[in-house]
Amino acid sequence: MGILDTMQTRVWVVLYWYSEQIRSTSNRRRLLLRSLPPFSGTDKGISRKEWPMSDKGGKGFTLPNGKGVKSTPLKDAPLKDSSAKSKKARNVQFSSQGSKSDKSAPASSKANSGKGGKGDSGIGGKKEQEPLQLKVENELPKGAKCLMDCEAADILQGIQEQMVILSKDPTIKLPVSFDRGLQYTKKSTHYTDPESVRRVLENLKTYGVTDGEICVIANVYPETADEVFALLPSLKARRIMLDDPVNDVLSELAKLKKSA
Amino acid sequence: MFFHIVLERNMQLHPRHFGRNLRENLVAKLMKDVEGTCSGQHGFVVAITGIENIGKGLIRDGTGFVSFPVKYQCVVFRPFKGEILEAVVTMVNKMGFFAEAGPVQIFVSNHLIPDDMEFQSGDMPNYTTSDGSVKIQKDSEVRLKIIGTRVDATEIFCIGTIKDDFLGVINDPASV
Repeated sequence: MGILDTMQTRVWVVLYWYSEQIRSTSNRRRLLLRSLPPFSGTDKGISRKEWPMSDKGGKGFTLPNGKGVKSTPLKDAPLKDSSAKSKKARNVQFSSQGSKSDKSAPASSKANSGKGGKGDSGIGGKKEQEPLQLKVENELPKGAKCLMDCEAADILQGIQEQMVILSKDPTIKLPVSFDRGLQYTKKSTHYTDPESVRRVLENLKTYGVTDGEICVIANVYPETADEVFALLPSLKARRIMLDDPVNDVLSELAKLKKSA
Repeated sequence: MFFHIVLERNMQLHPRHFGRNLRENLVAKLMKDVEGTCSGQHGFVVAITGIENIGKGLIRDGTGFVSFPVKYQCVVFRPFKGEILEAVVTMVNKMGFFAEAGPVQIFVSNHLIPDDMEFQSGDMPNYTTSDGSVKIQKDSEVRLKIIGTRVDATEIFCIGTIKDDFLGVINDPASV
């Protein structure tokens, strides 16, 4: 009996040891599989959550610095990259004028930045990015067409009408941002005919005014030339040349304005 | 401001969607995935206006999914630093006020509000000039300049100022 007992225990021990071996190999296999990179074709083109922390080495570097208003030149690089890679690093892209944590920034720096807000090249020169001048073309891929609010209103309205037809399918829903965008464009349409507005503003292009600036003028609907040059500091430098054409354009736009 | 732009994306499709309606399924999936999202580079994708091109599908190793490169045109909304926008005020507090322009939220700090405007708390908190002529409260329309942007997972948040010339209240709701 005693011998049988020892035999039995020995058998159990051997079996237990064997099962441990199997378990440890399957654990190893699982670990190996986990360490493989995910399939490159995963459909996560836009979402940022899966990007590993270590992917952008600068992330740990830029985040704390990004909060500081007193930027060193070193921060300029990540701040500049952040415009392209901001989907990876949730960088705060504030210029040194507008600090991110407005609650903590001292009032004096704000007062200075307010004055310097009109495209002060001194502060702007510190950073590689724009000194608060509208530089749309640099940041968007080529072929991006700037839309005035009235043009966008037409397009979005057309899409909404299509959706009414398609709305029989319950899975197709328009996102919240679409509704907000549509409301915004409808509210800010001053003009009766977007095409004529576009034609009128095209004249300014011959004087070197960029697409982005033209769209801002159309959206804002300034009443005087002074307003145009105050709101778009990049045009101020060429004021002498642009004064007359701008005045002409404004008078044309006044004719096209919708009667409220 | 709004832009009309061509973007490209790799869409993965499960084999259960193959068949006669492959393209429709692909487009529906694209719309579901992309519309309403935002990214730092393009801003908000407000709506897809058209599909330019759907490339050849490539079967992924190890799974049965097929990856199609799709080029599509869309309307995006992206705020820029230095841009002038008209926004509607949604909330006022003593730190400043929040405004909304399309899908974008903008915050204007009290440091970037002209010094002659003071915060008045109460039922309808607002910022008023000393002579009471100009008031910023909920649902006021203000013209502001964007001085900074931040991109979050689902939205873009901006900081604006009304301290410059020709910026400030356009439309006082009290007078409407």
